[in-house]
Amino acid sequence: MKQKKAKKYGMVIDLDKCTGCGACMVACMAENNVPFRKDETKKLLSITWMRVYKLTNGKPFPKIDECYLPRPCMHCEGQHEGHSPCVTVCPAIATDYSSETGIVSQIYTRCFGCRYCMASCPYHARYFNWWDPVWPDGMEKYLSPNVSPRMRGVVEKCSFCFHRYQLAKEKAYMEGRRELKEDEYQTACTQACPAAAITFGDLNNPKHAVNKMKKNPNAFRLLERLETNPKVYYLSSREWVRRAGDNYLESEDKLKKTGYHG
Amino acid sequence: MSTLDDNAKAIEDNAEGEEVAISSPEINIKEQDNGAGGPVILFFIVGLFASLIVGWIIFPKLLYSKKRQPIDFNHRLHIAEVEDECESCHFFREDGTYSGVPKLEQCVECHEEVQGNSPDEIKFVEEYVSQDREVPWLVSSKQPDNVFFSHVAHVKVAEMECVTCHGLIGESESLKVYEYNRITGYSRDIWGKSIGGFKKNTWDRMKMDDCAECHEKETAGIERTDVKTPLGRLFDNLIAISFPGMEMPSNKGDSVQTERDACFVCHK
Amino acid sequence: MKIDRRSFLSFLIGGAAGTTLSPLPWKLMDDSAIWTQMWPWTPVPEDGESSYVNSVCTLCSGGCGITIRKIDDRAVKIEGMKGYPVNDGGVCLLGLSGLQLLYSPTRVKGPLKRVGKRGQGKWEKISWNDAISEVAKTLSDLRSKGQSHTVGIISGSDRGTVPRLFDRFLTAFGSPNLMLTPSIQDSYELTLHLMQGVQALPGFDFENTDFILSFGSGFIDGWGSPVRMFRAHSNWRSTGAKVIQIEPRLSHTAAKADKWIPINPGTEAALAMGLAHVIIKESLYDTNFVDNFSEGFYDWKRLVLGKYGPDSVATITGIDSTTIIALARGFARASKPLAICGRGQGTTPGSLHECMVVHALNALVGSINSNGGVFAVNGTEYVNWPEVEMDGIAAAGMQNERLDEAGSKKYPHSRYLLNRFPAAVNSEEKYPLQALFVAGANPLYSMPDSNAVKKAFAKIPLVVSFSSYLDETAQNADLILPNHSYLERYEDIPLPAGLLKPVIGLSRPVVEPQFNTRHVGDVIILLAKALGGNLSDAFAWDSYNACLKETLGDKWQTMVEEGFWSDPYFNTKDLETSFDTISGKFEFANQDNGFLPQFTPVKIQGDEKSYPLVLIPYDSIRLANGFIGDPPFVIKTVEDTVLKGKDVFVELNPKTARAYGLREGQRAMLSTPKGKANVKIHLFDGIMPGIVALPRGLGHTAYDDYLAGKGINFNELIGPVEDPDSGFDAAWGIRVKLAKA
Repeated sequence: MKQKKAKKYGMVIDLDKCTGCGACMVACMAENNVPFRKDETKKLLSITWMRVYKLTNGKPFPKIDECYLPRPCMHCEGQHEGHSPCVTVCPAIATDYSSETGIVSQIYTRCFGCRYCMASCPYHARYFNWWDPVWPDGMEKYLSPNVSPRMRGVVEKCSFCFHRYQLAKEKAYMEGRRELKEDEYQTACTQACPAAAITFGDLNNPKHAVNKMKKNPNAFRLLERLETNPKVYYLSSREWVRRAGDNYLESEDKLKKTGYHG
Repeated sequence: MSTLDDNAKAIEDNAEGEEVAISSPEINIKEQDNGAGGPVILFFIVGLFASLIVGWIIFPKLLYSKKRQPIDFNHRLHIAEVEDECESCHFFREDGTYSGVPKLEQCVECHEEVQGNSPDEIKFVEEYVSQDREVPWLVSSKQPDNVFFSHVAHVKVAEMECVTCHGLIGESESLKVYEYNRITGYSRDIWGKSIGGFKKNTWDRMKMDDCAECHEKETAGIERTDVKTPLGRLFDNLIAISFPGMEMPSNKGDSVQTERDACFVCHK
Repeated sequence: MKIDRRSFLSFLIGGAAGTTLSPLPWKLMDDSAIWTQMWPWTPVPEDGESSYVNSVCTLCSGGCGITIRKIDDRAVKIEGMKGYPVNDGGVCLLGLSGLQLLYSPTRVKGPLKRVGKRGQGKWEKISWNDAISEVAKTLSDLRSKGQSHTVGIISGSDRGTVPRLFDRFLTAFGSPNLMLTPSIQDSYELTLHLMQGVQALPGFDFENTDFILSFGSGFIDGWGSPVRMFRAHSNWRSTGAKVIQIEPRLSHTAAKADKWIPINPGTEAALAMGLAHVIIKESLYDTNFVDNFSEGFYDWKRLVLGKYGPDSVATITGIDSTTIIALARGFARASKPLAICGRGQGTTPGSLHECMVVHALNALVGSINSNGGVFAVNGTEYVNWPEVEMDGIAAAGMQNERLDEAGSKKYPHSRYLLNRFPAAVNSEEKYPLQALFVAGANPLYSMPDSNAVKKAFAKIPLVVSFSSYLDETAQNADLILPNHSYLERYEDIPLPAGLLKPVIGLSRPVVEPQFNTRHVGDVIILLAKALGGNLSDAFAWDSYNACLKETLGDKWQTMVEEGFWSDPYFNTKDLETSFDTISGKFEFANQDNGFLPQFTPVKIQGDEKSYPLVLIPYDSIRLANGFIGDPPFVIKTVEDTVLKGKDVFVELNPKTARAYGLREGQRAMLSTPKGKANVKIHLFDGIMPGIVALPRGLGHTAYDDYLAGKGINFNELIGPVEDPDSGFDAAWGIRVKLAKA
């Protein structure tokens, strides 16, 4: 069975539009049955699949500038297919790279919580359930049946809402087709963003918006030089932000684009 | 060595009414040998059969608990009444999701009042319909929470028959007793009636391996020319070195690790 | 046959062999593995039919359209409604977490009557009939004693059928005391009244403007209709519109602006006057508008040119004169400039003059009722009920002056002055308040000078809360008559804040009421009927839903289908007929009372010697500070430089911190003339030296452990400062001292 060109689901996040409001964070948590605890101020323990970081240009008052950067899982492809830092190291094959969609999935029932993947991920995109989730009396009603609630001891991360991919495929099958339209599969964060700063789609498909947007000269990826080949691109008209995206030192000259784009 | 005759003489000599068994060391040893061998093998065999019986017969009896369905539903009777067979009550919604076991409003379309004369139907109408209470059916094909099963992909796209996975339920006139595993809570139909996990028909078991049996043949063999898995890359390099200029074989699978379907095709 | 060790062993070996050949160990292993994955406290959500219900969010005055995904009869996800005029699919983080409010354990599950002292938290369940009878009796007694005017209602909104029912009730009852939670809308309403002679709210054409001059308005932090503002801002990125943010702190809005101009807090009106000075001096103003459609410009011009030259304004504001001049030119030369005001989310009305000066700026550059400018919008004439027939008691009661003195000789034009209410009750100079109803508001938390508010409440013999959640006000009430949550009720949501067109959204029930709650509209109708007489006559509806349907008339069908109704004939561009002033024109100087907009500095409380620094509040969209507290998802997003454990951080410029010997993360004691707080220090270069910033929205003492006990309530540290011209609360901060703790 010959297959068309594989899809590569990715995101382009426009940092000029991002307001740092955090709607993407909450949309993700609401969509994916993410637990919450009474004290969420220890951010290393706080599970937020999507997290908005605050970048600053480091200058003193009044030259200080801030930029807000939402960070989902990058669904790294690595240098060749499926060589994501996390997929490579998982001893339980609990995380897997799908060549057909480019999505790095996490299967909670296989994970036994060694957290090797967390050490491996350079983006801190993975979170560990140190405790069992507790939903206050009655709140378990809002849990979605499309995403498995996790128990303690497993790692979880942004899944590019692949449960929506599953549901979109069901709808497509029902209508007698196999291909999905661009607006049929969108992640919760993309849908919620009130500033329309997040765009999601198939990076390989010239008809999808992200395909064009990633070619924007202001587009950059985080930690580009680590060659993780992430699928999340960022746009910023501010050079200090683009430089901060890969921790360029003051002394370093121009932004380098790596040879491999995939 | 004394002969038998000697022994007999020895017995005769003492025959003043008493028969005393004369034990000579050699004979005793032989006897003991025979006696010691017997019990060991016997006990082994006893142990073997006992554990086999426990494992194959008693274990399943203890492991599975029985429950009756709240209402004894007659599939054969209802199939005769409807037009689309299984899909009349177990239908696809517009968005492609599957309705599963029908809800009360489905049944009420006909059973607002008692239609026939079976005691179960009367019970159904009195205890459930008139009180607007959903029937707590025990679903024998219920999979764990981490499973994502798409009915539409199998029925509409793969054009599979319902009986392939669910068996000949449609021909049954009553619902069979619901047996469930005491440890896990799942229906016996998942592991299968046979405690050894042997199956004769495709619908005897519903574990992941049973899904994989079919999937390995039907879906996992996707050939692709644009995507290389690590193994594929290795082979490519070997071939490129050994047979320069030869056309590369295509690779299989969606998952990079297993070269089969990606995990999230079936899991959530 | 003897059973000895060997036999026994062989029995065991046989058993072991047989066991391995049987399925027992393998099946048990598989089952145990499955068993370990099935902890009973990890919920397994039931699957079911997926459906969507459209509604309108009411958690702020933004009025976004939402659509809620349901699985069978459970609501599982709130999403933005695509195509809704306000937000077109986007939704903010508070709206997204609405299900945590619907299914919250802090929901009041039925009418509750206080047992024990107020605030003790001891309640007894009471039936709706008993609750309404009790309230009716107390109210009836007050009426018969000729004290009907001693009843008040605090409402979170004054538009829509529910607040109008409150108004109708109090009129028929005989009390003028309907009070509204204050906000910048109050100032804007009064400004439009004084300068344009209309009774309306501002509508801004953010979608078409090309230069936004914001005097501290945090439109990326929750000002106006938040999602609408975000979308407009994203649009500005493509159209190239310029945004100038003027405030003492680098808020999210300032960080996203093209230029952030730090300004001495409280001097925004001076800057506006300075800009007007340059614009008038250099003749950059819209002569067509000023000459043909305005009155009193000459008087105002004299004032502007006389006092507000760039150098004097530079001294007042701390902004150098070159910046002021360049800004003025940039603003006036833009083709569609728009100036807005209302600090942060616009929680305080502020100084009336300040709002009028900013509005005058808009008039100066011709942005009144023009593309990309500001309009006067009134979309609430649809509530047309027959006049209330007052009986003798009601008529006598209505003769009394309002307790907060709004509309009195002192403040003839102001309509609501909730900030004056605690002092009025505490001073006992006027009449006492004997019954207070609170709906859609949480005054014990959100009003400044919490101590004074608590004292005032303690003096009121009957406090009734309609809150759906156990918030601070409900906790200290005598009776809680819980309203349905917003996802369980029908309600009209008119005039999303700052929207250009009058839009009425329809909030509708998404799920069946989860508890024994009742729509506050129904309760008011039942109460009126219980009181009988003219009250019962004025409330002839069978139920609130019937009232709503009747009121909306032929709009109802459209609203049910689309989710909203929008006036197709709305057009306010006609300058000839837009102004209802004495002169029939826009009035720079009010022709009735000679009011001239200018910079009237608001003196904040505290003397400079004892309190050398200045404390200002800041608003974050992640910290709900109004009638709703943060649900767990939202408080989870609060940064660890704002809240750590239970400690809140105040922001301090590193230079100031050094001067006071304070380091990052250090504990400090914050004291204002109104209160004290133990805080931690966060060094932030985004704040002017000498200023201390504390976020609003923390310091709850009610709700549950996910929110209560975290941080400090800013309102405990500040008191209102009365604007002499309007009576509004114009406090933009308070003086403070900081010392190592």
